[in-house]
Amino acid sequence: MAFHDQNNNHTNGEVSKKPKLSFSAITDTEIQSEFSHHDPTVARLNNGAFGCCPSSVLAAQRQWQLKSLRQPDHFYFNHLQKGILHSRTIIKDLVNAQHVNEISIVDNASTATAIVLQQASWAFQEGKFNKGDSVVMLHYAYGSVKKAIEAYVTRAGGRVIEVPLTFPVTSEDDIIREFRHVLEKTKSEGSSNKVRLAVIDHVTSMPSMVIPVKELVKICREEGVDQVFVDAAHAVGCTPRVDMQEIGADFYTSNLHKWFFCPPSVAFIYTRKSVNSVDLHHPVVSHEYGNGLAIESSWIGNRDYSAQLVVPTVMEFVNRFEGGIEGIKERNHDCVVEMGEMLVEAWGTHLGTPHHMSASMVMVGLPPSLGIMNECDAMNLRTHLREFFGVEVPIYFRDGGEVGCVSGYARISYQVYNKVDDYYKFRDAINQLVSDGLTCAFLSS
Amino acid sequence: MDNHDDPRNGTVQPDSKKPKLTHPISSHELLHEFSHHQTAVARINNGSFGSCPRSILTAQTTWQLRFLQQPDDFFFNTLRNGILDSRKIIKNLINADDVEEISLIDNATTAAAIVLQQIGHHFSSGKFCRNDTVIIFHCAYQAVKKSIEAYVIPVGGSVIEVELPFPVNSNEEIIAEFKKGIERGKINGGRVRLAIIDHITSMPSVVIPVRELIRVCRENEVDQVFVDGAHALGSMEVDVKEIGADFYVSNLYKWFFSPPSVAFMYCNKNKKLNDVHHPVVAHEYGNGLPAESAWVGMRDYSPQLVVPSIMEFVNRFEGGIEGIMKRNHNMVVKMGVMLKEAWGTNLGSPPEMCASMIMIGLPSKIRVMSDDDALRLRFYLRVYHAIEVPVYYQALGNGERDARDKDGFITGYVRISHQVYNIVDDYNRLKTAIIQLLQDGKICSELPKE
Repeated sequence: MAFHDQNNNHTNGEVSKKPKLSFSAITDTEIQSEFSHHDPTVARLNNGAFGCCPSSVLAAQRQWQLKSLRQPDHFYFNHLQKGILHSRTIIKDLVNAQHVNEISIVDNASTATAIVLQQASWAFQEGKFNKGDSVVMLHYAYGSVKKAIEAYVTRAGGRVIEVPLTFPVTSEDDIIREFRHVLEKTKSEGSSNKVRLAVIDHVTSMPSMVIPVKELVKICREEGVDQVFVDAAHAVGCTPRVDMQEIGADFYTSNLHKWFFCPPSVAFIYTRKSVNSVDLHHPVVSHEYGNGLAIESSWIGNRDYSAQLVVPTVMEFVNRFEGGIEGIKERNHDCVVEMGEMLVEAWGTHLGTPHHMSASMVMVGLPPSLGIMNECDAMNLRTHLREFFGVEVPIYFRDGGEVGCVSGYARISYQVYNKVDDYYKFRDAINQLVSDGLTCAFLSS
Repeated sequence: MDNHDDPRNGTVQPDSKKPKLTHPISSHELLHEFSHHQTAVARINNGSFGSCPRSILTAQTTWQLRFLQQPDDFFFNTLRNGILDSRKIIKNLINADDVEEISLIDNATTAAAIVLQQIGHHFSSGKFCRNDTVIIFHCAYQAVKKSIEAYVIPVGGSVIEVELPFPVNSNEEIIAEFKKGIERGKINGGRVRLAIIDHITSMPSVVIPVRELIRVCRENEVDQVFVDGAHALGSMEVDVKEIGADFYVSNLYKWFFSPPSVAFMYCNKNKKLNDVHHPVVAHEYGNGLPAESAWVGMRDYSPQLVVPSIMEFVNRFEGGIEGIMKRNHNMVVKMGVMLKEAWGTNLGSPPEMCASMIMIGLPSKIRVMSDDDALRLRFYLRVYHAIEVPVYYQALGNGERDARDKDGFITGYVRISHQVYNIVDDYNRLKTAIIQLLQDGKICSELPKE
């Protein structure tokens, strides 16, 4: 399975990822202390949404903030750029980019998306892309990405094509086949309609599954797609093989505050050096406009840049764990899958994705008797679980199923602070609801 | 300063602004509030990066911790209302009609992107023509100029730069130059589509007569007016209805004690400006700028949430924010006059054209002859005298306007700020440092480079 390969096959920049030998790993007590600011009454099963940040990183962030507040002019002239460059260098090694110029730090994946789509929009406006050329995205692309494509592409005259995906999913082959089919079909419609940009998730949000990006990027190259943008909002710290050379995309973005222990909020966007004809800019234009995306992004007006400056401290944190970030990912995956299986067995349901297509999150079918009939029901159930059972977990409504079948899935996450009890709490909560005969129809009344 | 025409005196204030004082903040408490500032630095550059008192930082940390404790709950149940509370306070402060006219964003630079992106769209779509222009002051903030370069020039728009007379003696001088600029825009049948007017320019710093300039714009059928009031909130009265702009932005972290960083953007609802979007598209796209700005993806929104705490802080001062503004203005003028008399130089503008910052001419003997010289002097003052103050180089060329002292032409200015934490000694140190340079016979180009 994917994770085992990974530990044996690394060939790049390992020094920064692997902890020094003969060290004592962080203890359980220390971990709990690092996350002691989390509400102890809540079974926090939704790391995927807002991530988490350990106390030692928060403390480092505060130091940076105080440094700036102390003497901001001096900080601006003498410390800020150096600190951001340091963070960028670490990220470059982490994701196996070739050059630090390929790494820009931005607030979040939404900002990275705006950057990529803005240049696509200009390409349409300037006639570099023809009206009617298309942008391809996956059916389960993130909601705000779809809106961004509408705002930047459709408006500029581009066409949007969705690759249909099914859920539950059993194999990557289904995704690969559908994707290839869409590209071939578009091509066969006539050479005047080119696919200019493919937007591919590395891990979809809802429902969550790991997408075979490496294979899809290869198909894009075979089919002559101009640009490939991988939206990997969850990927760093969650999925194995976040390797820019291996994946081969033109643009790649991941948040660092979801699974990489950074405070809110910080993300990076990778832009392949060889894509030099593309003019990428941060949408908030400031003094550094025209000096390259990385430099532009390092100053977008007066801001608190402290979240961008703690990446070195985060590396120290993850290296306190056995196996560093790779070890964390592997254990998170094993645990989330184990917990998923425990839950589906307890409820008599099934997982929405196979193990190898789940990273640190897995979709767990909920008992049909709960009667989740629409997205509102899913949200009401989520609220009910939060308010009455102290369980925080996002719920996905799957449309189109048969009556009596599983129509709702919980996306459970596993991060280093989680305990088995968190999942037992969830299991018991659902069991309680089922035995009480509660349905979502009742919740909404 | 009892000039009744002085906009800073304002009109009768609504109750939300008048503090109920038991005792005003003591000097000891004030010292503590800014005890995180580097001691021994004469910090007379509040204009660049602002300042934030301890009690606001504490309030911010509380919000941050609440989020970190249970982020989902915070997102669903707390965030939006917290932002709305802040927006309501801003709305009252600036006399807007409707809280839907108020959005909270990171900074004025973001506002420039918002306004200029939609202007750019109008050029692309053909609504505006190739001859049409955007008018700005030549000393407009660099980020604004770059935003025009990014969003307007590539789609066929052009720029008219209006020279800001400096040193300046009266509003009339500025109005006259602006009118000339507008006329240039109408040559060849072009239209001026957007005027970007600073409320207080950054460098050199001068309070601009925005009401009068906007009147000129309306008379000349300028489509949109965007007032960049980056420095305004907390240093002068902001009444958006009276000012009459279509867009108005001001930072809160410069003079209104917020942490870095947050700004408000006002969009006049009567103008029916559609197609105004935050450049980072997220779930709320299409739901109006306030909603879009309240969620631009995962961020730390705590600076946007502390506005109620800021009101509590300013209301601990005699006269609240009004009192603070008045005292800052009086002190910065007093210190400016003290310095110009000690150096035998001039003020860059009369006191009524200043708010909480003022430009003071540097002795010509120091020979600030370039931007590089200005930077060297700034660096020298920071490193050798622990004084933080920005230095401005003003090229000669206006003949009558060129200021002189007994030794030659004045080409360098310092921009001093006064905020509640400043003391007279800060300015005495600057006075002495410059006098020392003169006595040592040093000139800027001889000073070490950073």
